[in-house]
Amino acid sequence: MMSLLSPEAAGRVLLWSLVTIGFYAAAKRIYRRWPRWWLSPLAVTPALIALVVVGLHASYRDYIGGTRWLVLLLGPATVAFAFPIYEQRALIRRHWPVLLAGMVAGSATAVLTSWALATAVGLDGVLRLSLLPRSMSTPFAMEVSGDIGGVPDLTAIFVVITGIAGGALGDLVLARLRFGSALARGALFGLGAHGVGTARAHQIGQTEGAVAGLVMVLVGLLNVLAAPLVAHLLR
Amino acid sequence: MKPIAFRSAAARPAATRPALPRAARVARLVRHSPLLQVGLVAGFWLAGEAMVRLLGLPLPGGLVGLALVLALLASGRLKRQNLRRGAQWLLADMLLFFVPAVLAVLDHGELIGLTGLKILFVILLSTVMVMVVTALTVEALSRWSRADDEPALS
Repeated sequence: MMSLLSPEAAGRVLLWSLVTIGFYAAAKRIYRRWPRWWLSPLAVTPALIALVVVGLHASYRDYIGGTRWLVLLLGPATVAFAFPIYEQRALIRRHWPVLLAGMVAGSATAVLTSWALATAVGLDGVLRLSLLPRSMSTPFAMEVSGDIGGVPDLTAIFVVITGIAGGALGDLVLARLRFGSALARGALFGLGAHGVGTARAHQIGQTEGAVAGLVMVLVGLLNVLAAPLVAHLLR
Repeated sequence: MKPIAFRSAAARPAATRPALPRAARVARLVRHSPLLQVGLVAGFWLAGEAMVRLLGLPLPGGLVGLALVLALLASGRLKRQNLRRGAQWLLADMLLFFVPAVLAVLDHGELIGLTGLKILFVILLSTVMVMVVTALTVEALSRWSRADDEPALS
């Protein structure tokens, strides 16, 4: 907060916040008109901002110095997840054993296959650790990444790639393997592609959307709670 | 943070409006302002952070805040309409909050080139596996549980 007192720092906050929020609003509008997976605001917004940062010969340090307050809002966003969980309490009460089993199986698959595939192609150290939590929604993923010794910034990037790819991959998987239950279709998107997947699941059906959102949140919680254990095993 | 206030506000009929006590007036204000609701959610986050610090809990503060809000919703001390719009706003535009973190890619030149391709390969393949395993597990179990009780939704 001290740094806000200097006009230079205040200008930086103003400039980069406006650039970020402006491009985000524009990207959302573009996506609403042309809903293609590669036009996802998740991909378009950072790309546009990166052009400006590079164009102005600024650095990531300048940029994040002006926008850190936005990242801080991820904290309240985590708390806000209480609302959808509360709204879905009937669904949870009815299907919790099935959903829990799916989440445990899916999370284990995410961690194990990320680790194994990364090792197979010769990625190790911080990169490999940062890949493990990428199936989760960002606030949770960044938390877990820090816990297990990864770099939260890198994980944020991997989460975004997972989301963008996952929206498209989910459709491919569903086209190959036909799943009869809406629970399965929703869990597939919620676990595989977090927020983007949840948005896609909402387009498929109401139950799918609700299940995806719920699974996304609960799997984040589950993993944050399990992270200390995983961290212990990795050491 | 005075959760009791919200209950008393919600229970009061609208006819008594002019004589509303201050707590009820605040609650009514909160019900109509998404921005105040965001503030309320942020307050719970700060409370969670404070609890984690003070008690030395091995949990993220946001999670404690989430549990706090869930407990208050479940016990009826916090009404859903005092939270709904703020929470939905935070969640709908959550993307915006981590856009700055994604720009860290500018500081990671090592991701461009072969390393980036390897990472992409890992992410794509692993994501497909996660999806297939999750959906197969849920499908198998819900078919199995459908067999012995109520018809599952599908």
